[in-house]
Amino acid sequence: MSIILHIEKLFKSYNKKEGVVINGVDLAIEKGKIVCVVGESGSGKTTLTRLVAGLETQDHGVIKLNDKIVASDKVFIPPEDRKIGMVFQDYALFPHLTVYKNVAYGIADSQDKEVRVAEVLKLVGLEGYANRFPHQLSGGQQQRVALARALAPKPQLLILDEPFSNLDVALKLQLRNEIFDIIKRTNVTAIFVTHDTQDAVAISDEIVVLKKGKIIQQGSSEVLYKSPVDLYVASFFGTVFRLQDDDLEIFGLASETEKHYAVRLKDLQVNTNCTYSTEVFVEKSLFFGEYYLNTVKLSNDTVVNCMSIQKLEGKVTLGIEKNAVLAFGDISE
Amino acid sequence: MKKAYLILAIIFSFTACKSDKKNQSESKEDNKPETQEVNVYTHRHYPADQELFASFEKQTGIKVNVVNAKADELIQKMTEEGEQSPADVLITVDAGRLVRAKDKGLLQTVDSEALNKIIPANLRDENNQWFALTKRARVIVYAKDRVKSEDLSSYEDLTSDKWKGKILVRSSNNIYNQSLLASIIANNGEDEAKVWAEKVVANMARTPKGNDRDQVKAVVAGEGDIAIVNTYYIGKLLNSKNPEEVKAGNGVSVFFPNQEGRGTHINVSGAGVAKYAPNKTNAIKFIEFLASKEAQEVFAKANYEYPVNKDVTPSELLSSWGEFKEDLLALSVLGKNNKKAVITFDVAGWK
Amino acid sequence: MAIVCFITVPIGTILFKLFLGPGESWQHIVKNLLLDYSLNSFWLILGCICLTLLFGVSSAWIVSRYNIPFRRPLEWMLILPLAIPSYITAYAYAGFFDYGGSLELLLRSVGSKPFRIDVMNILGLIFVLSISLFPYVYVSARAVFLYQSGRLIEASKMLGVKEFRTFLKIVLPISRPAIVGGLVLVVMEVLNDYGAAKYYGVSTFTTGIFRSWFSLEEPSTAIYLSAILLILVFVFIFIERYQRAGKDYTMTAKSDIKLPRITIAKRKQIPLFFLAFIPVFFGFILPIFQLIYWSFLTFENINYTTFFSTAIQSLAIALLTALVTVFFALLVLYFPKWNALKFLKKSSRITILGYAIPGAVIAIGVMIPTLQLDKWLVKMSNEMFGVKIGLVINGTIIVLLYAYMIRFLAVAFNPIESSHLKIPESLSESSRLLGKGYLKTFFKIDFPLLKSGLLSAFILVFVDAMKELPLTLILKPYDINTLAVKAYEYASDELVMEAALPSLCIVATGILPIILLNRLILK
Repeated sequence: MSIILHIEKLFKSYNKKEGVVINGVDLAIEKGKIVCVVGESGSGKTTLTRLVAGLETQDHGVIKLNDKIVASDKVFIPPEDRKIGMVFQDYALFPHLTVYKNVAYGIADSQDKEVRVAEVLKLVGLEGYANRFPHQLSGGQQQRVALARALAPKPQLLILDEPFSNLDVALKLQLRNEIFDIIKRTNVTAIFVTHDTQDAVAISDEIVVLKKGKIIQQGSSEVLYKSPVDLYVASFFGTVFRLQDDDLEIFGLASETEKHYAVRLKDLQVNTNCTYSTEVFVEKSLFFGEYYLNTVKLSNDTVVNCMSIQKLEGKVTLGIEKNAVLAFGDISE
Repeated sequence: MKKAYLILAIIFSFTACKSDKKNQSESKEDNKPETQEVNVYTHRHYPADQELFASFEKQTGIKVNVVNAKADELIQKMTEEGEQSPADVLITVDAGRLVRAKDKGLLQTVDSEALNKIIPANLRDENNQWFALTKRARVIVYAKDRVKSEDLSSYEDLTSDKWKGKILVRSSNNIYNQSLLASIIANNGEDEAKVWAEKVVANMARTPKGNDRDQVKAVVAGEGDIAIVNTYYIGKLLNSKNPEEVKAGNGVSVFFPNQEGRGTHINVSGAGVAKYAPNKTNAIKFIEFLASKEAQEVFAKANYEYPVNKDVTPSELLSSWGEFKEDLLALSVLGKNNKKAVITFDVAGWK
Repeated sequence: MAIVCFITVPIGTILFKLFLGPGESWQHIVKNLLLDYSLNSFWLILGCICLTLLFGVSSAWIVSRYNIPFRRPLEWMLILPLAIPSYITAYAYAGFFDYGGSLELLLRSVGSKPFRIDVMNILGLIFVLSISLFPYVYVSARAVFLYQSGRLIEASKMLGVKEFRTFLKIVLPISRPAIVGGLVLVVMEVLNDYGAAKYYGVSTFTTGIFRSWFSLEEPSTAIYLSAILLILVFVFIFIERYQRAGKDYTMTAKSDIKLPRITIAKRKQIPLFFLAFIPVFFGFILPIFQLIYWSFLTFENINYTTFFSTAIQSLAIALLTALVTVFFALLVLYFPKWNALKFLKKSSRITILGYAIPGAVIAIGVMIPTLQLDKWLVKMSNEMFGVKIGLVINGTIIVLLYAYMIRFLAVAFNPIESSHLKIPESLSESSRLLGKGYLKTFFKIDFPLLKSGLLSAFILVFVDAMKELPLTLILKPYDINTLAVKAYEYASDELVMEAALPSLCIVATGILPIILLNRLILK
């Protein structure tokens, strides 16, 4: 597999007050993959993609697209010459142009515009909307026009910046899958920027986790699930409870100093046969159809949740299997 | 809606307060037959006038309230104000406007021995509704270096082919041009006046623009050879603070046209007492003062106008141009012909 | 309703006069002059539209898009030409290029051969009016560039389209409504201009209005002409609206980013700087230079005690006018809302047309009904109390303020309305639901949020009122004088040089508010 995007030692700061936004990022992305850049707000994920797109200039570092340097200390290729498609958070559809003209906007004059526009509109399922204006479309439709417009010039890389943040939950789930399919079908390399870890897990081949301008972990969702580098990454896949020293003691778990421990919700079992276990008091037991969600209190008054098949009452034993305990070297809050 | 009434109420109470004040001042007036003030609507706004008003106040103790605007606007204002108009005196810078004010019934007859004595009959209204205060002659100025005074003779001569592309004159929007044409209409008839205007337009060096001073400057700069201007602008140019303007003033000589015939067209600045003047006595006093020797000297000196008071000699500069024969046409004719003149200008294409 | 009446009465009076038919010279005007007036006005408007677009849009784009030397001062200096009344700029230009004018003196002093450009024709007039009015376009274009175009430019770039084409295909079209809004103001100012056109010898509709009113003594004909003018303005506005209909350009501004600035090579910065500096130079520095030179020649001639009192009176009147006008603009905006009167919402728009009507015509429109009221009051007081009073309202500052208010309502209304549109309706609704009456809601919720719009409106009216002339001439009380009137008196008496000092004062009082205004817009 060839590398389409290669970033080396990238640094960026806007002004002294805000400090460094991108703090030495190295990254390589393979062709044809869908990569998610996740991070909390302020982690620098949007800045990273804007640097790749050429909408910002870096302080130091090199960005290569298809082995060609597009940004370095000496070279800067402007965004219009980078052949990168971008779907903006607010779609940025040109309000004065029809859907057709929006989509045709970026297609080179040498190509048969009509054919290409029809092609991409069909791809996103908006045939028959060519003559509408953006404000006559629903949010989801606007989203798809934005995608069609970005795909129309056949970009070598597609960037989607928080594409679902303006949509309601039901629409988002449906659209997420559709867009995933469309991107897979076109075979374009795509970078998703999102703060929603669910999105990242659902659609990406690879996830890049950004924190304070640095990549703290990169890999497939399996890798991230199995060995998360910190509590934040671990929590991508559901609720995680951090276990403090006194909690560990109650469970009979020996702790190493300098290490931090956590456990996923699903690994807290009502089971006496686990490696580690302790007796807890059930405060609440709520019915959720398939399972009950219980709120229980450890003997040191720490409150955690656990799931059970039956309704729980009074005192029960809560256990954790040995391999279910997550240990991190360092947790930055 | 309630709010609207509230606001209306506020406005009314506001005006009510105002009228209270007025009432008080009115009741004061009842004690003395007339408050010691005179309200002057004037088109003249020269610093010299303000000095005169001040010295009038000093001499008589009568306060002079001034509204400065164009005569047209003042006449419109007086018409709308009707009986309630506070105006006592209307002063304009041309006879045409005074005639118009008279025709609209805005002025009243004044019986003042002093005025009748000082001001010649052709310079006042037949019913003594208005009186000229100063005279200006509309003359021809010519470039000293290019034109000889012998080449010039009359306004009518300006239509001759020798002046093709040489004449500079301002727009027909200007009242002095309108009055000049009105006098030509009176003297030569409407048809001839139209031909005159057309031929002058054909001889113009450029489309009319700028003011009289600009015409003089253009003559000196060589854009044309002669210009039709009012005398007192030459005086102003020669006494300007701007050395370039003085140079322009020195570059031309004054020629009084039609000396062989009816005389040079003159226009006047004049005053009349308003029909509904609340302070009639003061108004007459005021006009008498402006016609007095003292005031006329100020007019003559400061503004380079010809005084109407024979006891006063024109300023040195004006005297240096020599005496000239005035067109003795009754000035009221100018007002009567004014509209015809404007329309004739339009038809002749004089911008 | 009373408010709307209050505001529309003067305009209605003029419309009513229209039905009385034109004066007897109407045929004469149609036959000999109308074509000339129309053509001149047409070319004048067309020329001014082109030039103000050129100056306004280019300078707005340069200062909002590029990092150039002295960008910040340029940003506000580009608005300064508004501080000089356009007829004063016209006089200054005529003086500069005059025979023996400043240009000639300058050239002579450096030993070069004097040459002269004749500005006193329609081309010169177009230039002079454009250079003094382009800030209207500049201000509105810049606001869109800065706050609405950033994201779309990025999107266009990402689609492989270069800067210049992006500007043509995206930035200009989306800015069109705002730019046209600025242009409408320019056109109205151009149509309203009397002093400059008259001095430059160009017969336009407005000079025609004055001519038929005063020279032909036919106010009814003048009103007919101004009605034609009004209709033209409405057609112009209507066509624009119609064309725009269906294309809702209002964007979801919340997620938009501010326009990113581009830093370019130094050698490219210099030409851009000069491009943006040209309008400042010709619109402000050159005329100011001429005015200062004239003031220097004539400052001894000025009577300073009256001059200062005039200056203070102007200031006070302008401030009062601004206050009153902003107040009424608020009423026009909120009254229909409070009373849930739908039809008023539309009709309240009529009230902002005052700006399109020449000041002198408004003066008459105001004078006729107020005089009626006055006469009625006089009669009433005479009959009921036996007291004889003079004119109560006319010749007082109330009428002057009233007329100013009518004239400048549009100026105040626009910025207030646009900042009002940014306040979600839900805010005042929730305030009402929390038990506050509409007045309380207004003062606690809307007013603080409208502040910047109100202040902009206040400043705009203030600067305009400082400059206003024909209306002031006709309606001002005796004992009051303004700088603009003073300057006009001198100028109309061919004492153009003496007019320089009061003009400079008008400019000086305008500069600070304009800088403040610029801050407000950029906030």
